Amino acid sequence: MIDFHTHAPAWNDAGWLGGARFGAEEFIAFMDSTGIEQALVLSHDGLFNATPKANDDLAAFVAHHPDRLAGFGTVHPRDAGAAAEVDRMLGTLKLRGLKLHPWLQGFSMHERALDPVCDVLAQRGGILLSHDGTPPYSTAGQIAALARRHPSLPVVLGHGGLHDTWRESLALTVETPNLYLCICGTPPYAAREILAKAPSHKVLFGTDAGLSDRTSQDYAVARVAEIDGWGITDRQRQAMLVDNPRALLGAAR
Amino acid sequence: MIVDAHVRLGRGREVSLTADRLIATMDTLGVHMALVAPDERCIAYDNRAGNELVAAAAAAAPGRLIPYAVANPWRGKAAVDELKRARDGGARALNVDSVLQGFDLLDGLLDPLLDFAAGEGWPVYVRTGTPPNALPMPLASLARRRPETPFVMGRSGATDFWIDAAPALRYAPNLYGDTCYAPWDTVLNELGGDPEIGPSRLVFSTDAPYTVPGAELRRVLDWPIGGEARRDVLGGTMARLLGAAHT
Repeated sequence: MIDFHTHAPAWNDAGWLGGARFGAEEFIAFMDSTGIEQALVLSHDGLFNATPKANDDLAAFVAHHPDRLAGFGTVHPRDAGAAAEVDRMLGTLKLRGLKLHPWLQGFSMHERALDPVCDVLAQRGGILLSHDGTPPYSTAGQIAALARRHPSLPVVLGHGGLHDTWRESLALTVETPNLYLCICGTPPYAAREILAKAPSHKVLFGTDAGLSDRTSQDYAVARVAEIDGWGITDRQRQAMLVDNPRALLGAAR
Repeated sequence: MIVDAHVRLGRGREVSLTADRLIATMDTLGVHMALVAPDERCIAYDNRAGNELVAAAAAAAPGRLIPYAVANPWRGKAAVDELKRARDGGARALNVDSVLQGFDLLDGLLDPLLDFAAGEGWPVYVRTGTPPNALPMPLASLARRRPETPFVMGRSGATDFWIDAAPALRYAPNLYGDTCYAPWDTVLNELGGDPEIGPSRLVFSTDAPYTVPGAELRRVLDWPIGGEARRDVLGGTMARLLGAAHT
């Protein structure tokens, strides 16, 4: 399976989203413990302080196992050098995409400063994954509006709308061709409904691993185990965990 | 004794749960008792039907199911009358969902219902996590206005308002957290390890039928805390809150 939503450790304790520090080998051990073949590792420090160094640190982490780990760095879109940093992320650093967390980073998806950033990301064959599920800055309607401005850029809703906006996330995924949905922290009943109603090739899964107090990432292991109780078909499970993320990563290269 | 502090019976928008299925799940998991609220429609609109549904389910499973009472506070005096009917039917706690019922926790609409709950010695469950009108911090302010009443912070702000759960629990000592959805190795560790909170201020719930109940219980069983603390979380605390209710 491919875990489409994990995080690097907080090397610099930049914010409140803490957790234990861990190395790449410990993260691989966690992945092996729960059957994750490949993980997308999203920026952590960078969400609180979007510096080039945060992207350098992430790139060094995933470089330990380039066959198992793919990195998504971040920028703050209002930084004058944001588009150039995205170019460096996807080029020199060999990261695979951009993670944005609009409510944590404090910007609106409607800000035009995002356009040159997304232009470079699309030209480089990258993927944009955004936090969603949290008003006022991280709703699917807002993220889909950005996706419509950049129709060649795959845009992933990182949390499938969580508890409160999952119906909106599902609806926008249905009506927006380049919008995908990652079930991650979404409650089981909503996950089941999303899998039943979303285009079958557009649903992904993520554990949000990396934030645990333990290097074994116990909650992430539990989230994988919990899928057995969702009441979904084997075909839905295979698409969500294997086929869809593989196809999206392959298409975005 | 394991007490499930919150489930909903009936048919919601995407989910449903019958009393028979709930009892079967409880038997499988070793849950002795569950507090049952009615479904979304009955919380929002048809309170009478909802209160009758959970009362009938509880009557058919004595000692296993404890009814919550629901009443939309926009009904005013009729809401309090509905709570009286529910009490006479066996209800022992008040269940509030300010999103489904359409009010602000601090706008005063709930006051007559809280007066009634205080008179009965009922705990009050309030679902939280949804901005802008079902959040932990305003619930803490509400709880502080009524120190005699224990409030359960349903879902503990899941998910992004987990950041407010600890500050809310510290602010209102009569506020209790809820374990559902909360990973033990992040959220529960933070709450349970806080010297101003501790595990005994948390109550276990499955929040069925929105969840995988076995996974909710497994998470609390996996949480490395002491035996006494785990007994409190799994039922001791909720039983004490219910024990204060007049019988």
